[in-house]
Amino acid sequence: MTTLALDNTFDDPTRRAPLVLGHDEFSTVTEKICGVNEARRAPRAWYIAFAISLFFTGILGVMILYLFATGVGVWGNQNPVMWGFPIINFVFWIGIGHAGTLISAILYLFRQKWRTAINRFAEAMTIFAVICALMFPSIHVGRVWVLYWTIPIPNQMELWPQFRSPLIWDFFAVGTYFTVSFLFWYVGMIPDLATLRDRATTRLRAIVYGIFALGWRGSIRHWHRYERAYLLLAALATPLVLSVHSVVSFDFAISQLPGWHTTIFPPYFVAGAIFSGFAMVMTLAIPARQLWGLKDFITLRHLENMNKIILVTGSMVGYAYIMEFFTSWYSGSLYEWFGFANRAFGPYAWAYWIMVSCNVLVPQIFWFKAARQSIWVMFIASLLVNLGMWFERFVIIVTSLAQDFLPSSWGYYVPTWVDLLMLAGSFGLFLTLFLLFCRYLPIIAIAEVKAVMPKAHAHESEASR
Amino acid sequence: MVILPDNENRHLGDLAPRVFRWGVIVGLGAIGLSVLIGLSGEASLDRFFRSYLLGFIFVLSLCLGALFFVILQHLTKAGWSVVIRRIAEGLAGNLTWLWIGFIPVVVGLYMGDLYKWVDPPEGDELLKHKEAYLDTTFWLVRAVFYFAVWGLLARYFVRCSMDQDEHGDPKNTLRMQRVAAPGMVLYAFTQTFAIIDWVMTLEPYWYSTMFGVYFFSASACGFAAMLIILCALLQRTGRVTQSITTEHYHDLGKYLFAFGIFFWAYIAYCQYMLIWYANIPEETIWFVIRQLGGWKSMSILLLLGHFAGPFLLLLSRYPKRFKGVLTAACVWMLFIHFVDIYWLVMPRIPAELIDRVTSYPQLEQEFATGVIPGTALTYQEVYDLNWHLLDLTCVVGLLSLIGAMTARRLRDHCLIPEKDPRLGESLAFDNY
Repeated sequence: MTTLALDNTFDDPTRRAPLVLGHDEFSTVTEKICGVNEARRAPRAWYIAFAISLFFTGILGVMILYLFATGVGVWGNQNPVMWGFPIINFVFWIGIGHAGTLISAILYLFRQKWRTAINRFAEAMTIFAVICALMFPSIHVGRVWVLYWTIPIPNQMELWPQFRSPLIWDFFAVGTYFTVSFLFWYVGMIPDLATLRDRATTRLRAIVYGIFALGWRGSIRHWHRYERAYLLLAALATPLVLSVHSVVSFDFAISQLPGWHTTIFPPYFVAGAIFSGFAMVMTLAIPARQLWGLKDFITLRHLENMNKIILVTGSMVGYAYIMEFFTSWYSGSLYEWFGFANRAFGPYAWAYWIMVSCNVLVPQIFWFKAARQSIWVMFIASLLVNLGMWFERFVIIVTSLAQDFLPSSWGYYVPTWVDLLMLAGSFGLFLTLFLLFCRYLPIIAIAEVKAVMPKAHAHESEASR
Repeated sequence: MVILPDNENRHLGDLAPRVFRWGVIVGLGAIGLSVLIGLSGEASLDRFFRSYLLGFIFVLSLCLGALFFVILQHLTKAGWSVVIRRIAEGLAGNLTWLWIGFIPVVVGLYMGDLYKWVDPPEGDELLKHKEAYLDTTFWLVRAVFYFAVWGLLARYFVRCSMDQDEHGDPKNTLRMQRVAAPGMVLYAFTQTFAIIDWVMTLEPYWYSTMFGVYFFSASACGFAAMLIILCALLQRTGRVTQSITTEHYHDLGKYLFAFGIFFWAYIAYCQYMLIWYANIPEETIWFVIRQLGGWKSMSILLLLGHFAGPFLLLLSRYPKRFKGVLTAACVWMLFIHFVDIYWLVMPRIPAELIDRVTSYPQLEQEFATGVIPGTALTYQEVYDLNWHLLDLTCVVGLLSLIGAMTARRLRDHCLIPEKDPRLGESLAFDNY
């Protein structure tokens, strides 16, 4: 076992690679992961990052106040581009929030055990990304003080939302997604919260973790119910991975606008969302494993696997681009063809080519094993993919609106400084929440990781290998 | 060292020549009969070509589904599926000769009226625009390319895997894993464009970017149902009774449920809903005919029989682990998959009628009673769902040939890849 423990990136079909490296006992695993939360002081980098994130969150708050006080005119949204940055950011953040559920639910159902090292913080990331996403449509309504009108509750005004509008479907889709993702995240964390409770050295920690551990004592009966609940939640969350971004894509695809109305939108959006979500997991996992010394858990093999998923989903997105382009020509519709040619060669060509190169070309580097195993290559690629996926939403939303059927109403969309600061601020909010999570909650599923350690299978029959 | 159960029969043995003989006899007989019916004037030659295309697309979907499954197992380094992979390989292997079965479709293109775009009416600007793609020579070149890709991929994976039976070298597994990734990319594009070329262009004005994905999900359904049925049949004849366990049926049931039922419904719903909602005449026309007369009943049957019913039945784990129920469900799924392909291939659009009417009730009225100008036939007689013996004989013929060739391919080989390095995992795994 000791010779194996140094490297798990080998490719030998006669045996499976270990998922946890090093010589850890079960107890040292607990020590290492809880140590992240129990250290009296976080690493210096954490404080610096937290200060910067908090600063941008503050900016976000100020911008929102400014928006409320002044009105949506502070944004660049103008006729004909009525959906500008706020909707771009909404779709972007919802997309980021897809990797968590994919890792927790779908990879769980596929028995991909390597997910245990990354599922916890991918799920956390999902929750925070959905929070950022939900903020944008809420403040986009203009009169935020009557936001409750969008909620379908009986009221004295006989006012109902338009149920035929995909915007209201979105409300339900994202709401359901948030609820189930949150439950999944929380239920999965209960045994680990109990571990933190049991190890608490101060009264406050014992009480707070104790409350959230819901009286977990680790009895066989607890575990039995827990496993059942987890499996059921996984099965319930799986259709949600498809539904949320499909419904987001309906916002566009049910219209008659060239570039929006195309039937491949739902699966294409889902693939793109998983793609961007995984890229964000990479962006966060690489520094985190470095900072807290978690390389034995989030091993190079884990990163390599994620890179492969990025390659697969990036290629799916490429497939959708090709299908769209082909069909816009094949349809013989002048408007369709103009819509796509205009994307590639019109005034927003720069954005289009950023999108294509970041989303389709950059991930192709992961065909090479050396690139899949190089920390710097994958880190830079993950940043570029995030950039590319933001631009994808920009291209879809802005180009189709800016030049529609009537040339006399064409325009060129330019964001204002408020738009830009709000985008930056949403990153601040996301990272603030994420950093708080890293500091106070177990960032790796302790109980699950122990179950995939080689030691957990010491008596596995040799005949079956 | 993997210990295989020693008290089971893992070879087709004398079953192979029997299946081959009967498959060839029935297959060639049924196809010969179809040609005779087509030529006899009992049905038009066009109807023969249509029905043949239907049968061809159906068996193609099974074989492509099998090829996808095999590539997917290597791509994901799957362990669970090793014992059932050989049967999938047997099915996928048919792609090496299926181009022969495509020849009648080519004949239909040149001689028959199978594809309307071959002779576009004078002054049809739209088809003129598409000339660059809808060109018979280019179409043929593309078809050759698709069959070349599928044939080479299938041949590679089948040979490499059977070769491993001889010496048990794990390097073969590594090699297949390496080919699987680019193979999957090639598969995705060839499958998509093949189905655009052969099915979508039956209505050359209509288009949907989702079409390739729809066929992919349908083929996953047909293949998974077929594989489960084949496993059950083999076990009934006393073969591979120990190696293939309830766990494999359970997992195959999940595969069928996930791709063939759930994902299929998702894609079908999205395609329909988006076209219905936007309500653009060029796009809705394809669904309008499928909502008239007998086609309407068929659409509803698909909704209930391809999605709602099987979804409820196979949602729980117990039916998936109960071989009798699962196999019966698969027989149904294979049938409903055929209905799905029928629904894709067979309807023809009375474009002139749809252009002329101004409301949906009027359309239904005219469709039921209206007479096609210049003929004595009503729209219903020409355009409505009308089964013909040819639909059956063509598909039975092609399926029999597939069965014969699959048996021949597996004749001298073990029914499970007995020296695959991950065989142990596959024999031992559990669904908790």
